[in-house]
Amino acid sequence: MTALEQAQGLLAAWAQETRTPEAGRLDVVIAPEKLVAATTALFDARWGYLAGITGLDAPKSGQIEVLYHFCAGAYVLTLRIALAREKPSIASICSVIPAASMFERELAEMFGVAVVGTPDPSRLFLPDDWQDGVYPLRKDFAEEASHAE
Amino acid sequence: MRLEELWEQLEARLATWGRTHSPWAVHFNSGSCNGCDIEILATITPRYDLERFGVKIQGSPRHADILVCTGPVTRQARERLLRIYEQMPSPKFVLAVGTCAISGGVFQGCYNVVGRVDAVIPVDMYVPGCPPRPEAIIDGILKLLEKAQAEGVAT
Amino acid sequence: MPSERFVIPIGPQHPALKEPGHFEFSVEGERVTGATVRLGYAHRGIEKACEERNWVQSLYLLERICGICSHIHTTAYCLGVERLAGVEVPPRAQAIRVLIAELERVHSHLLWLGVAAHEAGFDTLFMYSWRDRETVMDVLEGLTGNRVNYSANVLGGVKYDLDEARAETIRKGVDYLEARTYYYLELVVHDPVFVQRTRGIGTVTREQAEWLGLVGPAARASNVARDLRVESPYAAYDLFPVQMVLETAGDLEARVSVRLKELFESYRVIRTILDKLPTGEIKGRMPKKVREGETVSRVEAPRGELFYFIKSNGTDKAERVKVRTPTLCNLAPMMTLAIGHQLADMPMLLAGVDPCFSCNDRSIVVRNAQEAETRWTWEQLRRYGIEVYKCKR
Repeated sequence: MTALEQAQGLLAAWAQETRTPEAGRLDVVIAPEKLVAATTALFDARWGYLAGITGLDAPKSGQIEVLYHFCAGAYVLTLRIALAREKPSIASICSVIPAASMFERELAEMFGVAVVGTPDPSRLFLPDDWQDGVYPLRKDFAEEASHAE
Repeated sequence: MRLEELWEQLEARLATWGRTHSPWAVHFNSGSCNGCDIEILATITPRYDLERFGVKIQGSPRHADILVCTGPVTRQARERLLRIYEQMPSPKFVLAVGTCAISGGVFQGCYNVVGRVDAVIPVDMYVPGCPPRPEAIIDGILKLLEKAQAEGVAT
Repeated sequence: MPSERFVIPIGPQHPALKEPGHFEFSVEGERVTGATVRLGYAHRGIEKACEERNWVQSLYLLERICGICSHIHTTAYCLGVERLAGVEVPPRAQAIRVLIAELERVHSHLLWLGVAAHEAGFDTLFMYSWRDRETVMDVLEGLTGNRVNYSANVLGGVKYDLDEARAETIRKGVDYLEARTYYYLELVVHDPVFVQRTRGIGTVTREQAEWLGLVGPAARASNVARDLRVESPYAAYDLFPVQMVLETAGDLEARVSVRLKELFESYRVIRTILDKLPTGEIKGRMPKKVREGETVSRVEAPRGELFYFIKSNGTDKAERVKVRTPTLCNLAPMMTLAIGHQLADMPMLLAGVDPCFSCNDRSIVVRNAQEAETRWTWEQLRRYGIEVYKCKR
């Protein structure tokens, strides 16, 4: 049994859809409220480590997709969660993986996704004089808006 | 009266001589990719040895005569750059090292980049390159000193 | 013990590191009780800029994420985009990529050795290692025409080829560096002054390293077998395999020796590539537009795993390029580890992970022990100092 098959087994209870986009990769679509449970299952089984969190903005479908990448050796497992573009919000996984703090804060300030329960919600990358509520990696970002009045 | 003028002249020449023969430099990276910074560091290592020209790279802006700037100026670093410039005692010179410091380079148009260094503080000498070779940086500093010597830096 | 502490701010412009990072250490006496780092001084917004530039323009932008590991960034990007576009890259090009990547690792590790020695107050070693580093800089310049941003990668292959004469100069450089590396390895484990600054300091156990998510040499020094060149051979690492170098101690000394021992692997791989360089073309045909899709590209940078996520929407521009650099993984754990150490050990501890702020681009980490801190005035500090020494007397 390869590591990905094992991961698929671990996540079977929450998986809404499972895809294999490339060799060595597995994408599992889960509901937002199942994130912490799924992460805990991976962590308890010591399946790899969290390599990063990617946000994807898709204004056409009105969604922001959040991708949690877990790596184990050559394998990459991605938990995909679709959030509504209006007021997107997701639970923090820092209680399970403390190292996620940095990634969650990046997600919050770049995409405006509220990460509920993240230990430190302060600004990570953007300058001190950046206008609140302006998220640079959203597709409709305009630079002028980021300057405070 | 005549003697006083002579004395002033001598003082000015002495000050210029002193200031251009052992200037201390401070380095600030305002958003650079590191390329220029490691080349600046390389100038003080044995092969290039900037110190044989009396130039010393040291930490505090309050002791510095030359500010060596690298990188485009980011919004977060802008105020720090200004503050460091203001902390330096006069007379002071600014050397902009690398394409980004001169024009913003590949980072032009990035949302967090203000732009080139001379949009924030006055620059006396530019060293182009991505990154410039250590020889070019040394040449830039020496040209800056020649210029300062010719113009006089008594005040 | 007084519950108040004072904060020592360092940076963003500071003598030790050549990059802007603003650190604040709260201390009780000499003991560090909290550590904060505010970066973002070098945050330029490269990920957004990649969405506005075409595939080729982004390549040159991404190369300038970091001047120290410029080649590995473009390698990760090229491998990802080529996979998306379905472009076959000739084996000779892949081998040259690996060759330059290993030369870059040599330059990066020697640079790091110098900086670490400088932080330890051992400036002679700093000068020595940087003098020897010039050898590999010459080699890189001879091969690519530039000392720092080599611009060797293009989408579909590489720009520069090499002949036997060039190979010979590289071999000579590597021979010299190998002899010097033996000397350094001897020195860093035997020199009493250097050992005092490294042995038993900043120890990370294997469990901690796994839990905190360390990558690269910092993880391998704690016996965590993470090296993508071995685990998931990319480019030509399947043709020219490397051995993983592991240490068990997990302290600063182990991080120094892991990096130095890795250099011998790099020298060996460089020689093998020069001897067995595949023949043929060095560039495949790359379409202007890249078909729709997503890919993950992971490579082993000198500082650890570099993670790229690339999404294409079928046009000549990327929909999204996500870059996760190794420093982002390594810096946060070090801030946690700082607590309880001597203030004087901080520069060494930071240098131990080889932080690269331009890579990292950004970030603020706050790891404070418990209660809120108050800032002391100079007068309070002076009085505190007097009280402490009175008690000692």
